[in-house]
Amino acid sequence: MSRFIIERPLPHGGRLVERVITDKEVAKKMIKGCPSYEIKPTLHYETQVPVRNVYREIMSICYGFFSPVEGSMKQAEVERILKERRLLNEWIFPYPLVFDISKEDYKKLGIGPGDRLVLNLKGKPFAILDIEEVWEIDNHEELAHKTFGTPEDNPEVVKEPFNKKHPGWVIYRSLESIVLAGKYTIINEPKFKPPFDRFWYPPRKAREEFDKRGWRTVINHQTRNVPHVGHEFLMKCAAFTGDVEPCHGILVNAIIGVKRRGDYPDEAIVEGHEAVNLGGYIKPERHLVSMCLWDMRYGNPLESLLHGIIRQNMGCTHHMFGRDHAAVGEYYDKWATQILWTKGIPSFGFPAPPTDVPYGLHIRPQNMREFSYCPTCKEMAYSETCGHKREKLSGSFLRGMVAEGVQPPAIIMRPEVYKVIVKWWKHFGYPFCNEKYVINKEKELEVDLEDL
Amino acid sequence: MAYFMVVLLDDSRMSKIRGTGLEEKIQYMFGGELRCLNVEVSEELKDKILKEFDTARVDSRGAITDVPVAFMRELFNQVAEKKSLGPEVIEGVLAKVDEIKELAAKESEYLPPPEID
Repeated sequence: MSRFIIERPLPHGGRLVERVITDKEVAKKMIKGCPSYEIKPTLHYETQVPVRNVYREIMSICYGFFSPVEGSMKQAEVERILKERRLLNEWIFPYPLVFDISKEDYKKLGIGPGDRLVLNLKGKPFAILDIEEVWEIDNHEELAHKTFGTPEDNPEVVKEPFNKKHPGWVIYRSLESIVLAGKYTIINEPKFKPPFDRFWYPPRKAREEFDKRGWRTVINHQTRNVPHVGHEFLMKCAAFTGDVEPCHGILVNAIIGVKRRGDYPDEAIVEGHEAVNLGGYIKPERHLVSMCLWDMRYGNPLESLLHGIIRQNMGCTHHMFGRDHAAVGEYYDKWATQILWTKGIPSFGFPAPPTDVPYGLHIRPQNMREFSYCPTCKEMAYSETCGHKREKLSGSFLRGMVAEGVQPPAIIMRPEVYKVIVKWWKHFGYPFCNEKYVINKEKELEVDLEDL
Repeated sequence: MAYFMVVLLDDSRMSKIRGTGLEEKIQYMFGGELRCLNVEVSEELKDKILKEFDTARVDSRGAITDVPVAFMRELFNQVAEKKSLGPEVIEGVLAKVDEIKELAAKESEYLPPPEID
């Protein structure tokens, strides 16, 4: 066997966290006599618009996407993350994850450490939280600033102070004050609604699927967008990395969560990527569309760290990163993610890349630039190799075209992908997420629950 | 500076301008895959557009962009109807400014989807 062969990495932390009870009788016994609490969305601290639903974090934790995290974090763990981006067990992790409730609700519940709280979702029992500690967030703004960094503390990559225009900052600023810390366990598996059900590959299932397909090396493509041909070429070409041969598989992992106005609907995103393989532009045998529940924090390098963790847990060997990865606005250097994965960011606790620090990651970064159309080469060309003047593919140009009802040419967007956009446009009456979509999505969520 | 607005042409729109003489004025992007027409806009009409639609802006090429979708759809209708790219096209669009504004106000809630096979 060649010494250059890359093996699938173990989950982050060494083992996959799986905290899902599938036996309903066992679940019923576990919650007998316990107090319950209906999960509430986190509302924007000024506008009261939903900005997060903690159910998505509970799902991603209990199905192992965020391994080795097992629950809502204790105060000491949050403090360590903000200082060094490490959990108390040493493994690297970018963000505080907490179960927060209001002081009023806390008083009403009358619970404390040692108690088991049943968390209801859409009126049905969903999960339990075994409370180990109760602590209070005393300065929300400070928590939000420390979560994302500041130009003073993180001068390598933070360019502007964060503020209420940043959706991730708003999530932390909007948390309720009381944190119930402890492990989550799902006791009633939610059922995904179509089309999400067929894209649900939690880490164990993803690893099994890779085995079934004979994929040893898999490169991940992070997405929150309907794919245009530039994305398709990015996936195809990044996949040439591999080890002694190109990557066997391309995993598209869409982040599904609270939306911003102007985004494409999640339904169109997952089906749009699927259309790429159904249309044969990337063989279905080499391409798998999946998703992870998470309300994007848009933390650029920090978000890329979470993405690396999620995709390593899913069994990927490689992860592609581009410019402005998971970014919004100009808070971070546009290459901050690639800086993290090539040099590290000392002020965030990374004197070396996250793959080169103790208790770090094993997934390999593949830092990419851009693809755009070259009229001389008459093909999509890579910015770092093509020497001609190229025509850029911008998302906003495409969105303008779509909004006008003009079908983009196939060289920019595959007709199969456009059909998916129009399918969901007809369904929602709008091609993008508008206020109605955002509000309804947070009301209806991606799942339904059965009675326990 | 010369100002203009870009009218994108898909197959459906192409069929509506066939034989009008406008085909000779088509410009091509993305290796000929994307067809468009540039409608000329005078200084005076540019100012009117910017005054009527606060999202509108002029980019570095002199192209007027970020107007409501209803504006862009009417722009094509006027091009096809008048078989021209001259100032009368924008004048025709601005003659329907109230109707366009009414549609634009509803655009954040509903946009009619295109009919495709």
